[in-house]
Amino acid sequence: MKIFAQAFRPIGSNKVDPVLVALWISLILIAIIWIAPFVFIVFTSLKSTAEVMSSSAFSLPEEFAFTNFTSAWQRGNFSTTAFNGIVITVVKVPLGLFISAMAAYALAKVPMRMNKALFALFVFGTMLPFQVMLAPIFRQVNAFGLINTYPGIILPYLAFGIPYQVFILYGFFAAVPKELSEAARIDGASHFTVFRRIFLPVSLPVLSALLILDFVATWNEFAMALVILQDPDMWTLPLGLMNFQGQFSRNYGELNAAIIMTVLPAAIVYLMFQRYFVSGLTTGAVKE
Amino acid sequence: MSKKQPPLRAGMEGYFLLAPALIVYLLFAVYPMIDVIRMSFSSWNGLSPEARFVGLGNYRAILTQDPVFWGALWNTIWWTALAVVIPNLVSFGLALALNQNLPGRSSLRVVFYLPVIIASIAVATIWKWMYDPFFGLFNGLLMGWGLDGLIVDWLGDRKFALWSVFVAHVWQAVGFSMVLFLAGLQSVSITLIEAARIDGAGRWGVFRYVTLPALGPTITIVFVLSLINSLKAFDIVYGMTGGGPAQSTQMLAMWAYTQSMQLGVFGRGAAVSVVLLLITLVIVIPYMRWMFRREEMGK
Repeated sequence: MKIFAQAFRPIGSNKVDPVLVALWISLILIAIIWIAPFVFIVFTSLKSTAEVMSSSAFSLPEEFAFTNFTSAWQRGNFSTTAFNGIVITVVKVPLGLFISAMAAYALAKVPMRMNKALFALFVFGTMLPFQVMLAPIFRQVNAFGLINTYPGIILPYLAFGIPYQVFILYGFFAAVPKELSEAARIDGASHFTVFRRIFLPVSLPVLSALLILDFVATWNEFAMALVILQDPDMWTLPLGLMNFQGQFSRNYGELNAAIIMTVLPAAIVYLMFQRYFVSGLTTGAVKE
Repeated sequence: MSKKQPPLRAGMEGYFLLAPALIVYLLFAVYPMIDVIRMSFSSWNGLSPEARFVGLGNYRAILTQDPVFWGALWNTIWWTALAVVIPNLVSFGLALALNQNLPGRSSLRVVFYLPVIIASIAVATIWKWMYDPFFGLFNGLLMGWGLDGLIVDWLGDRKFALWSVFVAHVWQAVGFSMVLFLAGLQSVSITLIEAARIDGAGRWGVFRYVTLPALGPTITIVFVLSLINSLKAFDIVYGMTGGGPAQSTQMLAMWAYTQSMQLGVFGRGAAVSVVLLLITLVIVIPYMRWMFRREEMGK
């Protein structure tokens, strides 16, 4: 096969290295273990309850029970939870990125009294685990009368998403050469104009990476939603799935269909935009 | 007219650009952190209008009277210690392998990373189903292989529950560190590797004296990130066991939540949160100082 033509050869060598072949075989075996849960979930989602109980785990479904998906969709109230998830994500992700980018620009490019201290305050937030303070977040949202509302969940999501985005974008903006913005400033452009016309366009790759990472994180978030969205009409997909698992745990086919419908959007986004995930993660953590 | 911007006006505009992010961050992230510290010195049931100041009463209560706290603390430490070592060793091995000239590398990377982007609560549901004592994958396989004697109620047995949850965590966590390690490996200089080879270094020599030292910063970052991620373990435990059976999988983050939001003893829950925050800060503050020093040195 063509892909094997150059493979298994270490840098600067033309001979096939047997160690690399062994390594490759073990990688494939581990990959099979890693993928097995997905196969099991997909197979189960297509079986009737009777067949789940009688057949072995990795046997193909006898007849594809697609009805599992339609009835899980209805019982799990997926039209409501998917709608809520879309509203929250579509508002939170671009808004959060925009205000984070503005803040990062101000910290990196506008001389102010406390640039350093303010930046440190944001960096501190990147390490602040909200899972540890769910009750005080609930109290604060409740003080604003926003429990069970979209703003009630979006505001804390913004608050805990901003630090990481500011941190990444600050690093990026700080590296943009002065010449690019100073000409415009001398011509009398305001900082906001420079930010919008020059800095936003040049940071498009970073912004896309952050956008996609944040989309998946927001779509998947569970703990904060658990304390703030208590009314089933306001639930997001993870809350819906948790409830489904509690109520219909013996309805195996439908439960697995519900799992698939919950994870599919994030999985598709990942498969479409893989390279952005890698750059989004690594620009933050690993700098060359 | 001077071409120079008056500094005051320029600064003002900066504050306007900064304001939205700063206000939301202060109100909904920083304030709750201050609030939880204050709350940990008070007694509040979630309903009464006023919280009552009780000094160190909550701390005394969780340390001496709470039958769950020490178990949850121990589980958190156990979990953190294992979660820092085991998944990262797997990630490191995978990254080293995927950095070689092997066919299908990118597809393999996708496979290992896929669990990372799946909601933790879905990972919990998937694994709970695989651990199902009657029709789940594990017991099904054991039965199929004639190993009926090894069949266990994975999540229902106190001896196995925490390990079972941990295995699910490993499956989900490995891809994350793997990507960070791969990025680190790609920054290792090829010229340096080739020079070492010419000087007669073998596979191990190159790894020990070139690759590993170059990965130093990456290893530190992965170490700290997984430490912090383990301390806040919540979703996967909540989804798989809810802390049971008999509190054998209870962790501090979830115990803080349970006390405040389910048992209505906000003060005690807050005290647990503060303990966990303190543990986190002990790790975060030296790390941040290290990062800032690195940043300064880079300039």
